[in-house]
Amino acid sequence: MSEKRNVIVRIAGAAGDGIASTGELFGKTCSRMGLHVMAYNSYQSAIRGGHVWLQLNVGEEKTRCHGEQPEVALLLNKTSPEVHIPDMKPGGIVFYDVSKIKDDLTVMRDDLNYYALDFKALCDFEGTSPVMVNVMLAGALIQAIGLDTSVGMEFFEEKFSKKGQEIVEVNQKVFNAGIEWAKENVKDFSVALKGDGTKRMFLTGNDAFGMGFIAGGLKSYAAYPMSPATGILHYLSRQAKKCKLLVKQTEDELAAANFIIGSGQAGVRSATATAGGGFCLMVEALGLAGMLEVPTVYVSVMRGGPSTGIPTKQEQADIKLVMGGNGDFPRIVIAPKDTDDAFVQAARALNLAEKYQVPVIILSDLFLSEHYQTVDPFDFSKVTIERGKYMRELPKDAPRYKRYEVTDDGISPRLVPGADGHMYCSGSDEHDEDGELVSDILAGLPRAKEVRLKMHPKRMRKEETMLKEGDIALPEITGPADAKLTLMGWGSTFDYIEDACETLRADGLSVNHLHFTDLYPMDKEKVKELLASCNEIVAVENNMTNQMCKLILGETGFEITRSINRFDGEPFTGEYIVNEVKKKELINA
Amino acid sequence: MPDTTDREITVKDFKGHINPDWCPGCGDFGVLNVLQRSLAEMNIAPEEVMIVSGIGCSSNLPGFINTYGMHTLHGRSLPIAQGFKLANHGMHVIACGGDGDGLGIGVGHLIHSMRRNVDMTYIIMDNSIYGLTTGQTSPTSGFNMKTKSTPFGNPELPVNPMALAISAGCSFVARGFSGNPKQLVEIYKAAIKHKGFAFIDTFSPCVTFNKVNTAQYYRENTYDIQEDGHDSSDMQAAFARAMEDGKIGTGIFYQKERPTYEEPEKETFDIPLVDQPLGVDEKLANELNAQFL
Repeated sequence: MSEKRNVIVRIAGAAGDGIASTGELFGKTCSRMGLHVMAYNSYQSAIRGGHVWLQLNVGEEKTRCHGEQPEVALLLNKTSPEVHIPDMKPGGIVFYDVSKIKDDLTVMRDDLNYYALDFKALCDFEGTSPVMVNVMLAGALIQAIGLDTSVGMEFFEEKFSKKGQEIVEVNQKVFNAGIEWAKENVKDFSVALKGDGTKRMFLTGNDAFGMGFIAGGLKSYAAYPMSPATGILHYLSRQAKKCKLLVKQTEDELAAANFIIGSGQAGVRSATATAGGGFCLMVEALGLAGMLEVPTVYVSVMRGGPSTGIPTKQEQADIKLVMGGNGDFPRIVIAPKDTDDAFVQAARALNLAEKYQVPVIILSDLFLSEHYQTVDPFDFSKVTIERGKYMRELPKDAPRYKRYEVTDDGISPRLVPGADGHMYCSGSDEHDEDGELVSDILAGLPRAKEVRLKMHPKRMRKEETMLKEGDIALPEITGPADAKLTLMGWGSTFDYIEDACETLRADGLSVNHLHFTDLYPMDKEKVKELLASCNEIVAVENNMTNQMCKLILGETGFEITRSINRFDGEPFTGEYIVNEVKKKELINA
Repeated sequence: MPDTTDREITVKDFKGHINPDWCPGCGDFGVLNVLQRSLAEMNIAPEEVMIVSGIGCSSNLPGFINTYGMHTLHGRSLPIAQGFKLANHGMHVIACGGDGDGLGIGVGHLIHSMRRNVDMTYIIMDNSIYGLTTGQTSPTSGFNMKTKSTPFGNPELPVNPMALAISAGCSFVARGFSGNPKQLVEIYKAAIKHKGFAFIDTFSPCVTFNKVNTAQYYRENTYDIQEDGHDSSDMQAAFARAMEDGKIGTGIFYQKERPTYEEPEKETFDIPLVDQPLGVDEKLANELNAQFL
């Protein structure tokens, strides 16, 4: 796709240098012009002083990756050059401030264009402070690559008007100083991007999950802070009053996971989110939701593991975890493929949870949850709310209600507590259709065995019903059906693999892409058939041990033996996958 | 909140269709009877009540009473009960369980529930022993007490539930004894009526595994603090009663109403969440999208 007009920008500095706000300013400038942005934030588990950077790929068409080599860099602190100069694309341009970076950078590389600004000289007016260096450099950057500078002016108005007009104005002046400097000093940069004029949203996957939950009728949300899942808590907390949501930060993940079971039992749509380590604590509750048949949604955001692992880095290694728990109970596992899908799947998960009265797990990862991207405004009108066999009332003279009535599809009519004359108790121990426990004095007696043999299959039968009803999507194939090589991925790697496939096909290679969004339950026969129809499959997994291949093997008996893995803490890029395909000679064109 | 109905409620309304499987003479029978009486005397209807328990002998209680119930996980009754209450604040929510459940595995939730002050009641049925697992030391087992897991004597001091609750900001702190139903019914009624998180540690002797803290022991060693002139609005006095050595006080140690968790969030809780429409209208949807444009 050599026609694709895009530019890769990296903004780097110390934590606290204003990387996030510079990124937001730059991203909004692009998204309001109708350009597409995909941005990835590389950060550390430190609040100040660590080295962080944000890479944004801006294009006239949808950008599927944050890209490898930056063409433009904005370096905010002393340690930035040694980290980022080696990564730059030849001919790239670098902006920095002379008070922060004093070294002669041409010594490091002489194939780049360096632009050194002097904040003290250029912004010598009242109200400025050295923390605004990033604002000046952003002005120079936005001017240099031919973007609309007026959005920046609006941005300061929106961001700082509550702090007072002086703050707005001083930021605008500093920003303008960067613009004016660039007008005079920066030679024409080869890429001048033109947007299509459509305003798009610029947001993270976590924001999209939150919006999807609200669209899908979420009422109760409980969580304990843990990166990279905390963004959902922050988003929903901000909307709580406006959308009449119960948003509760609990004392730990055990409480959060159980709190939503209480709300779910009451008849309210409820969800929680955590990272892998927190989900470990939630597994006990997951089984309870399965046993009590309470609709609940758990977002589990993967990051580098095991244990505390690499808290701020990417990995896809929690399939085994979300399939865990003691005993067997029905569940659904969904791994959304991108930011748009995060919105759709969050709302869908709430529906599936209620229809089947099961825990639904949304398996996200650090990349999907935290990276910023431009997307079209979400279409809330497309979200439907389906409550399944939900009942708020039941006539008092109706036959005695059985909460766990055995049905052909495994789903019992669900009367939520409060109705007169139909009291029941839900039991975490094995129980009969009424909810009566058969675990204590009845255990081992013929009646208890009979109950067990009825109730356990009744619950598990729900997984068959999900497949029969067509509620679980098969993996999708994009690209030519008869391709010589199939790249198999799941969850957030969708865009990277698509990007790689486009490049490989442009190079004349015969490649397609098989992608799983719904991971479990799996239609064994159909998935096996689909896999068998591929010529040669290579798995692309952001983990070391191919957890998805193992799930597929266990479910279908189909073994995928070749793979591209990345577990250094970074997400894939299209380029990375292309290089691996070529390096490992995975395909003979 | 509707705490009376237009029909007259009696103890019979709360009679469960399953007979308790507790050992004959277990203190938990007394707790069950008193709870049924308290609800009936307050004219609360069975369908207005949700009882959430954890795991243990005492946690089987919801199965033996005719109200809505949940039998859940060891130590987790409180988060579940709060999640339920806040989703449907029209119902009375009562959590119950043993001393191991509430003061051992679930003690973290207990402390935070007390400071959070959701409007609900929590009854610990305290027998100072792990009964369902056949007799190990519990968080309220006395120092040096011999149990199956401490054959040479318990080397740890017991938790002081009253002092713990008062210091954690609990707005209603009481202690009762299942062998003193006359006092206990008044405590439970006051607890259910209390707006906020009400905690009652209830001595409920285990006849099988605890030969120290027997019904006889409690009859001989407890006294009614209200009869002794205790002022339950005085926190310092409550601490003093909680720290007493020798005689064991029962009654309401401390009670002071303060805003419940729900109260500051009036916009959200004007009607129970379960009765609110789901999803957002077009105007609000546009507003949510606009935040990111």
